[in-house]
Amino acid sequence: MASADKLINTDVPEKDVFALHFLQSLSNLRTQSPLNSPNKSIDRVRKIKKAAYVSMARAAGGTSRLWSRALLRRAAKDDNKSVRFSRRKRKVTWKISSKRKRSNQRAPVVEEAAERLRNLVPGGGGMETSKLMEETAHYIKCLSMQVKVMQCLVDGLSQK
Amino acid sequence: MDNELFMNTEFPPPPEMATHFEPPPSSSSAMMLNWALMDPNPPQDSSFIWEKSTEQQQQQQSIFDSALSSLVSSPTPSNSNFSGGGGDGFLIRELIGKLGNIGNNNNNSGEIYGTPMSRSASCYATPMSSPPPPTNTNSQMMMNRTTPLTEFSADPGFAERAARFSCFGSRSFNGRTNTNLPINNGNNIVNNSGKLTRVSSTPALKALVSPEVAPGGEFSRKRKSVPKGKSKENPISTASPSPSFSKTAEKKEEWGGKGSKSSEEKGGKRRREDEDEEEGEGEGNNNTKPPEPPKDYIHVRARRGQATDSHSLAERVRREKIGERMKLLQDLVPGCNKVTGKALMLDEIINYVQSLQRQVEFLSMKLSSVNDTRLDFNVDALVSKDVMIPSSNNRLHEEGLQSKSSSHHHQQQQLNMYNSNNAQLLPNISSNNMMLQSPMDSLEASTLARSFTHLPTLTQFTDSISQYQMFSEEDLQSIVGMGVALNPNNESQHMKIEL
Repeated sequence: MASADKLINTDVPEKDVFALHFLQSLSNLRTQSPLNSPNKSIDRVRKIKKAAYVSMARAAGGTSRLWSRALLRRAAKDDNKSVRFSRRKRKVTWKISSKRKRSNQRAPVVEEAAERLRNLVPGGGGMETSKLMEETAHYIKCLSMQVKVMQCLVDGLSQK
Repeated sequence: MDNELFMNTEFPPPPEMATHFEPPPSSSSAMMLNWALMDPNPPQDSSFIWEKSTEQQQQQQSIFDSALSSLVSSPTPSNSNFSGGGGDGFLIRELIGKLGNIGNNNNNSGEIYGTPMSRSASCYATPMSSPPPPTNTNSQMMMNRTTPLTEFSADPGFAERAARFSCFGSRSFNGRTNTNLPINNGNNIVNNSGKLTRVSSTPALKALVSPEVAPGGEFSRKRKSVPKGKSKENPISTASPSPSFSKTAEKKEEWGGKGSKSSEEKGGKRRREDEDEEEGEGEGNNNTKPPEPPKDYIHVRARRGQATDSHSLAERVRREKIGERMKLLQDLVPGCNKVTGKALMLDEIINYVQSLQRQVEFLSMKLSSVNDTRLDFNVDALVSKDVMIPSSNNRLHEEGLQSKSSSHHHQQQQLNMYNSNNAQLLPNISSNNMMLQSPMDSLEASTLARSFTHLPTLTQFTDSISQYQMFSEEDLQSIVGMGVALNPNNESQHMKIEL
């Protein structure tokens, strides 16, 4: 697998980076909404969840990954903010998954699974299947890291 | 159209062929050209020979016979078409002689056979001195088929001459026929005589196609090089019928199931399939020559037994890419090793991603529930564990500090933490004020990561929390006052702690 990884870079930062970003976002949350005082737990949960995702996207490399970019854009749109994108060094693949030159050529099994994946992975709508798999791999890694961080946090906080 | 050359089983009777025997032999390509012009498919008979020797012996048998009969029985030579004989006429005579021998169904061909016999006796290793037997049975044909073939193979000059002969059927022969084929190819052909029986066309083709190429072993190399890639044909591309021949030769190879090509996306393939000129072919070859072209082309070689269509090749590349990435994913997702097959694995992956996302949601719910009471501690833990944390880290503590300036009873524990680190905190607080206002977006993850190399792991949080109980109340007041004084602008002074 090492040889394959050289071609497909799915490196993910250490847990610390994720922890840092998450805590930052959490504290930001605290300072952010003292006035609003959202007492509803659902709002709070939603905010925390969003903070978790945004921090994960930032920790994972900001705008250098397609899914993180899409995530940040989505979050910024909700908050009526704008996200600054760094210049993309890589070429953009213009292939739209919905359009297919020869519709029977792509394996339908793979394609339907890819469709489901696209709904799950942020920003998956505009990606080709092979690119989608790459993004999914990175996304899975980041998600698992984030889950670990949150788990530790919850454990730490709830132990008291 | 070049396929037609070899596959066309029609044999239009060339009445003019008989005229060749009349005029004296003279080496003029013009005569040959005229002859070829008259009959657009003259070399079919020769091609028949080569072709049938390989694959289609059975089916061409009858056609061949009929063709030969028509050829041989053409009575009236018309001299008007030929300006003169020539070495090429010589060739034709030989060919017809051979054909007559194979055909074996003509009695009045004695005169035709006689002439080449007399002139070309020196060239034939095994003479056709015996007049063709009048029998016409198929079995005998078959037998005779093989023997003339051996005769053919034994004839060193014949293959080369027949090749030259067959070149006239190609599309482009205007002034490009190479009549300067060295007659002393005898060595070369002799070397390749072994190969002639099997795919006789190829050495003939190659002999024609690469007249300037070094003789001998080159032939075998050429044969092998055809499937290896178009780049090898660069030296050949200058020869006149090379485009057609390379195509046909390739097609022959492809028929054998050994399709191979190096495709530049679709451009090279398209050029191949079009009826291109040499230049186009040369360009395509030049593009495929460098192993790593400057553009982003992925060179693919078609595997044996697979379609060489550019679309299917691209499909194959895509499939391989996807498969490779699936392997990656397989290692990531736990429990995917037992599952085989793309569909199941993809389902597994999707389930895993969904489960991870659900976990995040669940944990965030849990966090929100503990947030009111406990969230402060995480910040403190950062401080407690590492007093040497650079100032960038401390802004977190600062924020936590200020936000807790409310009368929440748990805050005192946190603030008491600062008592021990007061000395370090104070000089940092002013610097932290700057960082406090700075938007989080501007912080580079890399710098933060670097600054957090000393950050304790989260597993240590649980340890630090136990320290909270020891602090006293007085410290709380001092630190709160300190925090408030230094950050009057902080909205957290509203003392509303949410979340």
